[in-house]
Amino acid sequence: MSDIDRNTVETVRDAVYKSCLLQDDERWEEWLDTCDDSFEYAITAFSPEIQCDMTYLSGNKQYMQGLTKMLPKHNTDHSPLKRHCVVYDVDIDGDTATAISSVLIYQTLLDGTNSHIDAGTTRLFVAGRYIDKFKLVDGKAMFTSRTTKLDTRRLDKGSHWPL
Amino acid sequence: MSARNQSEWMADPKFAEGEWVDSRIYSDETIFNEELEKIWKKTWIPVCHESELSDAYDFRTFTIAKEPIIVTRDKDMTVRAFLNVCPHRGNMIERRPSGSFKEGTPSGTPKKMTCMFHAWQFDMKGKCTYISRQKEGYQDRLEKGDVGLRQLKSEVYFGGFVWVCLDDDMSKTVAEWANGAFDELQPALDAEPLEVFHYHKAIIPTNYKLWHDTNCEFYHDYLHYHNRITGFNDAYFARKNTGFDNGHITVGSFEVNYDNYEGFESREDVSFPHLPPNHWYMIDLFPGINFNLRGSALRCDLVTPLGPNEVMIEFRGLGLKSDTPEIRKTRIDHHNSIWGPFGRNLHEDLLAVTGQGNTMNPQADNRRILLGRHENQTIHDENGMRHYYEEWGRWLNRSPSNPDKPFEETPPAKIAAA
Repeated sequence: MSDIDRNTVETVRDAVYKSCLLQDDERWEEWLDTCDDSFEYAITAFSPEIQCDMTYLSGNKQYMQGLTKMLPKHNTDHSPLKRHCVVYDVDIDGDTATAISSVLIYQTLLDGTNSHIDAGTTRLFVAGRYIDKFKLVDGKAMFTSRTTKLDTRRLDKGSHWPL
Repeated sequence: MSARNQSEWMADPKFAEGEWVDSRIYSDETIFNEELEKIWKKTWIPVCHESELSDAYDFRTFTIAKEPIIVTRDKDMTVRAFLNVCPHRGNMIERRPSGSFKEGTPSGTPKKMTCMFHAWQFDMKGKCTYISRQKEGYQDRLEKGDVGLRQLKSEVYFGGFVWVCLDDDMSKTVAEWANGAFDELQPALDAEPLEVFHYHKAIIPTNYKLWHDTNCEFYHDYLHYHNRITGFNDAYFARKNTGFDNGHITVGSFEVNYDNYEGFESREDVSFPHLPPNHWYMIDLFPGINFNLRGSALRCDLVTPLGPNEVMIEFRGLGLKSDTPEIRKTRIDHHNSIWGPFGRNLHEDLLAVTGQGNTMNPQADNRRILLGRHENQTIHDENGMRHYYEEWGRWLNRSPSNPDKPFEETPPAKIAAA
């Protein structure tokens, strides 16, 4: 691998990890600023119950901007989510790239059920993979899509937040 | 009077009988076990949609009243239900949620249900077809005909849903049990084959009836941003809750102005047969099933009570089998935006009922759960829940307002038909 390719791979990895920090901190606007205008977002899963690939949420950048902008207007479980992510593979193809990462998202309970009893308990919320695609421009990796492909189908209260 | 002391808190509300329920019906272990025996084992329960076992030898597994159930499709495409229990030593025959018996398993041959424990086999009709070393161990004392599976009553009805009843003495068909609750929706459900495109589950700490209550009333509009901001208009409030015998209710249809919802557009381009675009119709079936058709997507909630304060809810979204990929994507997006696990409304509904579950402590002072809203049987009326608990009282012979007392019919008991 050439030095240029190594640098590009590092740039892509950094973009994935940065996105985790931004989403963990609910800095939605900054997160979407790392996304190209053509960005498409989806949360998907395969269901052995109904034997099909499912989409749990999808939208373009504008849809995700509207969704995140309206978050304060909803009644929401405010238990913070934290991502543990490992980038397994980065594939560079000209000025595009694809990254596949493992992601575990933990939830530390706050107000969702009985805060006196539960608050502070950390548990696994979902497990899955990020499948991210990028446009490589001027040394930066801009997300053109993120698919959060979940293994988890027991989602209990669910969430209003993009995973 | 502002806040109250204990005796004031424990006093009966200034409402008529039937306009409140005692919180013990949501928390008492004895009552819960009675519900499983007297209601869940005696009524028709939808367990899945037939599209989930579309081919011969396909199967799905479930639980009703803690009994493990398997539903199979035979080579002639007949769907049957059995206890998922081997008659030998009680092992669960099939552990997977779904699959096919077409291929063999490590302990068994193709096209048979095989108990992995001792390799006994059964066909899709529940007949025992193989007992390992039968003559050596049982001589002439046991024949295969003696050890067939326990078959359960089952029907495929109302849009292809698979219904199971654990009671061999159930005299009503599914149609008779529904007793007209599906009349308005049935043309839309039966016009052409449906298909499930969405499945997820929630296991939450609350009583199954608290979830069903939420599906039976719209007063909780205040919980949801879109409903609060854009939903309230004359047509919305004119919708009627209508009761049917056997404890079912429906919520009448109206046209939703989705383009008034921030971030949404009209959904008029995609609907169901015989349902006007953007219309919304709901059925709440006793003892706890919801069919919810919002224009472009059908949602179905199937509940499995796990304990007085624990319920599993399986959420399904359905479209038409004939959907093009573009139409199917539209249905999925519409379904998810409101009802998906990351959509706007479902999360809020689940937060509210888990909050209720937290306070229904069996050792606590009994709560009085108020069901006293009267608004001419329109959607903020609580007549739907009153109708449900009247039926509940009959089945358990317990008064919902005081479960230590036997049930008494309380006139005026019936909701006016629409």
